Amino acid sequence: MKSKTEQINNSEPVVAVDIGGLILKNPVMTASGTFGYGKEYAPYIDLNRLGALIVKGLSLEPRKGNPPPRIMETPCGMLNAIGMENVGVRAFIDEKLPFLRPFDVAIIANIFGETIDEYKKIAAILSAAEGVHGLEINISCPNVKKGGIAFGAHPDTAYEVTGGVKSLTDLPVIVKLTPNAGDIAEIAESVEAAGADAVSLINTLTGMSVDVEQRVPHLKNITGGLSGPAIRPIALSMVWEVVKRVSIPVIGVGGIMDANDVLEFLIVGARAVQIGTASFINPRATLDILEGIDNYLKRHHITDINDLIGTLRDGCPTS
Amino acid sequence: MSLLVGQIVQNRELVPRYFFLMSVKLPESLATPLPGQFVMVRVRDRRDLLLGRPFSIYAFARDKTAPVIELLYRTTGRGTIALSRLKSGEYLEILGPLGHGFDIFPEMKKIVLLAGGIGVVPLSFLASHYRKLPINDRLRIIAYLGAKSADHIVGMDRLQETCTDVKISTDDGSSGYHGFVTELLADDMESYLHGDSVIYACGPPAMMKRLAKLLGDRPISCQVSVEERMACGVGACLGCAIHVKAVGDKTRYRRACQDGPIFDIREIIWN
Repeated sequence: MKSKTEQINNSEPVVAVDIGGLILKNPVMTASGTFGYGKEYAPYIDLNRLGALIVKGLSLEPRKGNPPPRIMETPCGMLNAIGMENVGVRAFIDEKLPFLRPFDVAIIANIFGETIDEYKKIAAILSAAEGVHGLEINISCPNVKKGGIAFGAHPDTAYEVTGGVKSLTDLPVIVKLTPNAGDIAEIAESVEAAGADAVSLINTLTGMSVDVEQRVPHLKNITGGLSGPAIRPIALSMVWEVVKRVSIPVIGVGGIMDANDVLEFLIVGARAVQIGTASFINPRATLDILEGIDNYLKRHHITDINDLIGTLRDGCPTS
Repeated sequence: MSLLVGQIVQNRELVPRYFFLMSVKLPESLATPLPGQFVMVRVRDRRDLLLGRPFSIYAFARDKTAPVIELLYRTTGRGTIALSRLKSGEYLEILGPLGHGFDIFPEMKKIVLLAGGIGVVPLSFLASHYRKLPINDRLRIIAYLGAKSADHIVGMDRLQETCTDVKISTDDGSSGYHGFVTELLADDMESYLHGDSVIYACGPPAMMKRLAKLLGDRPISCQVSVEERMACGVGACLGCAIHVKAVGDKTRYRRACQDGPIFDIREIIWN
């Protein structure tokens, strides 16, 4: 990493951001579940250029996932019901992490469980592994001990799971919030109180699509998570709500396709962003976005991206 | 490898509002595709049609000016209908070639192709590939082509150029054998032996299931090309799950895109 003065002298804007003590080269992260374990995209992009690489959600034991069809395109978006398929945390460490270690990029493990105890166990295992730089907790999963209601749907359970993970790790902890909750900002406040180092939002919105000729759902699971540009305005307004209510960094996620979309989130107050569905369409989306951000900063004579964050002005565009 | 922009050379309607033949000129950086591989094809600047669509490659040529791939496709939904409306000269986004192709067995004497409808696409590319091998002289390629009706038969012209024999079946009897294409194959099955023949198939799941049943315990090699909805095509989204047998009585899902789209028929669990 070059010093700040050096970068200014070379007229390259500073794009590094601090996410709860984790310094990222730039604010562009890959969203969990859209970038595999990193290796899948290595033939397409230089992983070293990413701000952070968030891997597919990990559970304590391997999970087989849902029967197909698992995905369906909807206008400006897609539904998915993958069913949390993953190799499990131990196989991740043994089989996937060695490939990632040589890269100079922050590796963040996304984790989920069905009980708080499971979350804690996974967090402890990953904290002992070399090459994991942060954890992202997916609290959108059903809590089997509380009737299957998502941990993230209530402030109390969100608090409990965040506190549980924090008690077992020294790694920075990001909590990924679900939009399928009553008041997402209340959940954000709750996880901040429990010690979360950052929040990321939004996870997918529950959606559905039906084949009217056969009168059957397009997904075997019936419902799925909606992602893509269709959800971006919703994500942006939720980020806007949350940044007003918490002081920890907020990571904007939801339908980001290009640099303009990223800038919207940053101006509203997000300190970093995650790129998800866009990578499916263009494996180079993250890097194209980085170039676009760089151009914008230069065009606006902004020397440090942090000076742009949370600078939304009053009023509306003038012609 | 990266997302490429291709220019449509032609996009011709073969069967009205149903089958289309498209050829696309691509940049030099396109890797030479193998029979059985596919590409993700996407209409540009259409965020409403967000995802690419996976298409098996029908033919490939690297002419003097640029690599050209041919796609033969059926319109099944919004994405393919939008593609079918594109005119020559217009541009597309192409990612690929993706997945792994069919295994090639140069020691075989007979190549058996079993195609159901649009399933002819990767098999036709495979037949032309075999014809270019030095073993061409002694090779017999027999194609079994099934369709709904006579006017839904596609790919015949190319198969007649590459195959020793092309046998047709239709569901309504309007052309060739009246019945399932697997029944046509069943009649000849005794002449295809393990070690001297290999079967390649692509078609609807019901056809594949009948083929699996027909093969039973016969040890003859059989590779199939599968289809499933995909978002990324590169193994990341896990959308294109194919249910396969695992160790013992267990089953698991494999990815049509990266683990396939070619599988040994015996590995797959046909529902």
